[in-house]
Amino acid sequence: MEYKLEDKWRRYEKIEFLGEGQFATVYKAKDIETDIIVAVKKIKVGSKAEARDGINRTALREIKLLQELKHTNIIGLLDVFGYKSNVSLVFDFMDTDLEVIVKDTTIVLSPAHVKKYTLMTLLGLEYLHDNWILHRDLKPNNLLINSEGILKIGDFGLAKFYGSPNRIYTHQVVTRWYRSPELLFGARMYSTGVDMWAVGCIIAELLLRVPFLPGESDLDQLTRIFHTLGTPNETTWPGMTSLQDYIQFKTFPGTSLKDIFTAAGDDLLDLLQSLLTINPLKRITCTQALQMPYFSNKPAPSPGSLLPLPSSLVPTLVKPGSKRKLIESQTGAILPKRLQFDTSM
Amino acid sequence: MAGNFWQSSHYQQWVLDKQDLIRERQQDLSVLSDEEYQKIFIFFSNFIQTLGEQLKLRQQVIATATVYFKRFYARNSLKCIDPLLLAPTCIFLASKVEEFGVISNSRLITTCQTVVKNKFSYAYTQEFPYRTNHILECEFYLLENLDCCLIVYQPYRPLLQLLADIGNEDQLLALAWRVVNDSLRTDVCLLYPPYQIAIGSLHIACVVLQKDLKSWFAELNVDMEKIQEIVRYIVSLFELWKTYDEKKDIQALLAKMPKPKTQPSR
Repeated sequence: MEYKLEDKWRRYEKIEFLGEGQFATVYKAKDIETDIIVAVKKIKVGSKAEARDGINRTALREIKLLQELKHTNIIGLLDVFGYKSNVSLVFDFMDTDLEVIVKDTTIVLSPAHVKKYTLMTLLGLEYLHDNWILHRDLKPNNLLINSEGILKIGDFGLAKFYGSPNRIYTHQVVTRWYRSPELLFGARMYSTGVDMWAVGCIIAELLLRVPFLPGESDLDQLTRIFHTLGTPNETTWPGMTSLQDYIQFKTFPGTSLKDIFTAAGDDLLDLLQSLLTINPLKRITCTQALQMPYFSNKPAPSPGSLLPLPSSLVPTLVKPGSKRKLIESQTGAILPKRLQFDTSM
Repeated sequence: MAGNFWQSSHYQQWVLDKQDLIRERQQDLSVLSDEEYQKIFIFFSNFIQTLGEQLKLRQQVIATATVYFKRFYARNSLKCIDPLLLAPTCIFLASKVEEFGVISNSRLITTCQTVVKNKFSYAYTQEFPYRTNHILECEFYLLENLDCCLIVYQPYRPLLQLLADIGNEDQLLALAWRVVNDSLRTDVCLLYPPYQIAIGSLHIACVVLQKDLKSWFAELNVDMEKIQEIVRYIVSLFELWKTYDEKKDIQALLAKMPKPKTQPSR
């Protein structure tokens, strides 16, 4: 068996180390055939047992799904190379992600910015759901953004086809803070609602600039959800009490979203309310969400080129501040400062 | 399987042209006749099927593995990799892709050894020569030759939908389902989209059971020419089976088959 491994390695010239996760190491690299900058994700080979398992299952999941998906708001898989258990995936290079932007206190997020991020997330997710795929791990860190201001949903290591009634799913998915109440109650049959809930938490985080419901344990997560949004019962959520890990909670009345997101308009509050609906069957779908007035009301979503970038990435030649302010004064956008979220409310 | 077939890699990259397929096979067909070549692929489809059943895999996984196998050799000569190694590798990759249970590499190798010894001793007199290491090496090579297109659509789901439209006909479904299984021993999975294979298989089942569904077929908005082509492929397989004794002929065929230069050390 002759192997082309050597050629493939040579095709990507390593530029710099970008980061390291549980399963992979990511490098910025140049594709010397096309001169395009790419991200190379090298899957780690852990134990000997893992090496015997061949091509890593998480990587295989990303390969099989991304090979079928083509959408502006979904990360593009450009190439795969490797040898035996050493797999590397080549992706579109993305300059930053929404977590970095949310945490960068020098960045001011206008309502037009928030609308644009929300819109791009929902468009990518609608495409996924239309293709019967659940992402199952949506969080700001997985919403990648490039210097042109295009958001792409990334990290498909937990994604899965849905809709087959005979498939039982694990509920141990989605990073806790973005996990929906049905998952926290141990539901094994769930649907697109788990992703929609996560989107609700992400929009809330864009507004608050801190995680909306940062639970310290699964129990604490549920407590925070019910404390904030009100405790459900069998009438508001039929079937809840028969979920595998159901436990009874104190009845909290919940807080009005208006009092939490004081700077948000009514149309945005309506969207948030529909996404953060505790009963998964009543929660809104992507297509329904995209048709809500929020997206057609003013201000219009910011053009991608005017979305903020972290200070470390702002090109020095352009002065980003002045032009942006001008546009915003024209569209009448208000600039909310960081909002304080008081959990004792 | 879910998703959109019309935008899938299966439809866009892996419904092959017959002339291209013939051209790709030139090298092997200079050594083997068309019929001998087909007989070798029938043998390995049987091997994958038996291996899959022994591992208690679902038919969906077995069918996907068979399609991987055929796609690989649609682009490569038999000389490239010994099909006896590629077959279990296809099973290994397909079971991971379809996410139904885990088969460990060691269980796969043990099953290969048992199956070769107990069920295919008429083809192989020596024990199964490959080990975990070979499978792992082969797996990536397979992935690369599939162009990373791992999701395969099968005729089973469209067949169920068609049957639901006809009305529940258990006997018809059972027979058509078996014809779909048989179709994996022909080239139709490389040349036609799965819904057409489902219709072709249903057509054959109707003829065998003498069910007159002419008006139902007439209302289908499909290219009947293509369906007839599929039917011809499958019927010629049945014709071949009438006179062919695999147990008697396969050893000579495997001996004649083009082989990789290096064989694994036993």
